[in-house]
Amino acid sequence: MTETPFTISVSDGNLNLLRSKLELATLPDELEDADWKYGVPLADIKRLVERWKNGYDWRKHEKDLNDELPMFTRDIDVDDFGTLNIHYVHKESTVANAIPLLYCHGWPGSFHETRKLLPLLTASSPDHPSFHVVALSLPGYGFSEAPRKQGFAVKQYAEVAHKLMLSLGYSEYVTQGGDWGHVVCSHGHLVRCRVTQLFQVTRHMAAEYGGKYDKAWHTNMPLSQPPSPWQEPLSFLAFLVTPWTAKEKEGLARTQWFRSQGSGYMAQQRTQPQTLGYLLADSPVGLLAWIYEKLRNWTDNYPWEDDEILTWISVYWFSRAGPAASLRIYFEIFKGQSTGWIPPQHPKIPMGVSLFPKELMVVPKAWVRRGNRIVAEFEHDSGGHFAAHEKPSELANDLRKMFGKGGGAYRVVPGKDGYP
Amino acid sequence: MTETPFTIAIPDDKLDLLRRKLELTTFPDELENAEWKYGVPLADIKRLTERWKNGYDWRKHEKELNDELPMFTRDIDMDGFGTLNVHYVHARSSVTNAIPLLYCHGWPGLFCEARKLLPLLTQASPDHPSFHVVALSLPGYGFSEAPQKQGFVGKQYAEVAHKLMLALGYDEYVTQGGDWGFLVTATMALEYGGRHHKAWHTNFARALPPSPFKEPLSFITYLCTPFTAKEKEGLARTQWFRSRGQGYFAQQSTQPQTLGYSLADSPVGLLAWIYEKLHNWTDGYPWEDDEVLTWMSIYWFSRAGPAASLRIYFEVMGGTSQPKFQWPRAPTIPMGVSFFPKELTIMPRAWVRRCWPIGAEFDHDSGGHFPAYEKPSELADDLRKMFGKGGCAYGVVSGKNGYP
Repeated sequence: MTETPFTISVSDGNLNLLRSKLELATLPDELEDADWKYGVPLADIKRLVERWKNGYDWRKHEKDLNDELPMFTRDIDVDDFGTLNIHYVHKESTVANAIPLLYCHGWPGSFHETRKLLPLLTASSPDHPSFHVVALSLPGYGFSEAPRKQGFAVKQYAEVAHKLMLSLGYSEYVTQGGDWGHVVCSHGHLVRCRVTQLFQVTRHMAAEYGGKYDKAWHTNMPLSQPPSPWQEPLSFLAFLVTPWTAKEKEGLARTQWFRSQGSGYMAQQRTQPQTLGYLLADSPVGLLAWIYEKLRNWTDNYPWEDDEILTWISVYWFSRAGPAASLRIYFEIFKGQSTGWIPPQHPKIPMGVSLFPKELMVVPKAWVRRGNRIVAEFEHDSGGHFAAHEKPSELANDLRKMFGKGGGAYRVVPGKDGYP
Repeated sequence: MTETPFTIAIPDDKLDLLRRKLELTTFPDELENAEWKYGVPLADIKRLTERWKNGYDWRKHEKELNDELPMFTRDIDMDGFGTLNVHYVHARSSVTNAIPLLYCHGWPGLFCEARKLLPLLTQASPDHPSFHVVALSLPGYGFSEAPQKQGFVGKQYAEVAHKLMLALGYDEYVTQGGDWGFLVTATMALEYGGRHHKAWHTNFARALPPSPFKEPLSFITYLCTPFTAKEKEGLARTQWFRSRGQGYFAQQSTQPQTLGYSLADSPVGLLAWIYEKLHNWTDGYPWEDDEVLTWMSIYWFSRAGPAASLRIYFEVMGGTSQPKFQWPRAPTIPMGVSFFPKELTIMPRAWVRRCWPIGAEFDHDSGGHFPAYEKPSELADDLRKMFGKGGCAYGVVSGKNGYP
């Protein structure tokens, strides 16, 4: 199996263009005492723009990424879409029978959100299983090519990830998908329907390739919906009469916040992504604000450092396909509509769920358990949407428990139990 | 009554900064055969950007606006919001008893969307009424100051417009408004209607279907009555807007500041964001590139910057995309409504009549969301009929029936 090594190497021309744009940056004003109420505060953007212009050293962070993450590119043929050159991290464990695991990011995530998780998952120990980890850049993200044609939706993203695993010799593998991937349907109760793509990708993989290839899947953002009064009357009644726990109430409040105040970006991206794309492609400040708002609001008091943020944004700015391409997944999956949801799939393969309180859609566990073959459930007291980045130890532990001896998915990949 | 004349005079350094930004423009790519499906087509944006950089002459258009539109500024004292300096057009008719009319734009509208309407409304004739027209720039738009404090909602916009009319000596007046102008003028009608605000006209009447619980007979009638072909088209248009055309609304009503950074920093981004609406919300209007660029330039060069114009969405909707927002209850002053087929939300006529006591209805076969700009003759005719002899609002303003 030959892999083409890849190092990030942004051209000087691109660095200079970024600097030129930052030097011409025009900032808006702000209402008095606005804080985070209307969007990202002006003081944050001013400070970050200043740092990006003067002080932030892309070459240093570029080198860190190159040194830390073994990266490659590979051509993947996608049915009806031609060949796409895919960028990915491939970190193998020293444990020969480590479990092949695909990690799938979302928006505005990135391949490198795994950088703290990788050493933990690949670490060798007699006490827990190890993994070979493949963290791809979805087409249109990071340094992967973007599709040129319309209609590149969940099926295609799943196909890319699946074929990548096969091409690396992993005919049987497991997956971890987080980011936002949630469908919560309302039948008179209040939460609307949403679908997240990253979760969607690994869920689709589980449904499409599960059993033969995809042996188990884990997520930190489970899609689920309340029981239907028509199809599941007993569950529905139980749902109506069971009082919420305090934790569940907080979770529903979080979900309500996301629905009513945090989804404007989604409405735009699923209906008119190209229009937004002009803004994000032309203004680094605009891109910074658009993404930084999510990095802050979607995490659980994560102590972001300025350079950490700027590296995250820079990867989007310098991405191979440009930031506009990353938006199209919303349009394609939602078919350009602002309402509507994808019918739920219920893959048959074992599923693990990690629940973090500041995820974007937090629903009662009963809903998650329905229809899914849950073999491992982990609840956490802190952490948000970017679990791999915020809580790498906790997420690694969850995966180790799920796939380890006594775990619900132990030995799910024949011959590769992850132990030395 | 003293007015402070205003001429648009953008400083050279602002023109220079715009040029420098345009020269650094980075375009995204586009999917094959995308056309308008995913948003504004790349070819349009490239062409418009090239023109804006090379060929479009802002000074020429600035001069035309200054020559055409008599503009002024005035301080308006607001309750709880200090003093706002408000920019407006004030075009007086030669007819002494012309009817004072306030024209109120919305987003992404502008004071100058009335520029073709003004000569028609102020024109003197024995056959139809004339108007003195005041077209303000809402706070945060055009060359008006923006509020600095939170909470500037419909009530405040209405207060600004009302106080402006009073300051100009128009103790009694009428209004025309669409988009946010509809909300502003409806609020004026509720607050000041009868005593000062004597009649109102809109092209943006909203309506809800009958409630099965509160209006069972209407609801059943609605279920049994087939829609006309025109109504079906209208519902399809409404459906398009709801399912594909409201992303901007969700963003602007929840996180306007976040979006504001992009619009303030990228002229091409601002162009795309607004041009999409100019194209989609009008009815085959043959936009010329310089026309579009003048519209964009005013937003770009606006006194408060383009980000300020977004806040009305957040404030009025209460910062949520799922407001318990109620459109105002129906005012009792005479109301006229013009219906254009490419407005954004078109409901069956029966529903609109149920919600509003319409005194004069005007139907059109073409035209969209910016009728003052797209269909100035038609809109002027509608207003002349509504306020003219035999119209439902004839003589509403004491001593000013609009006739010479």
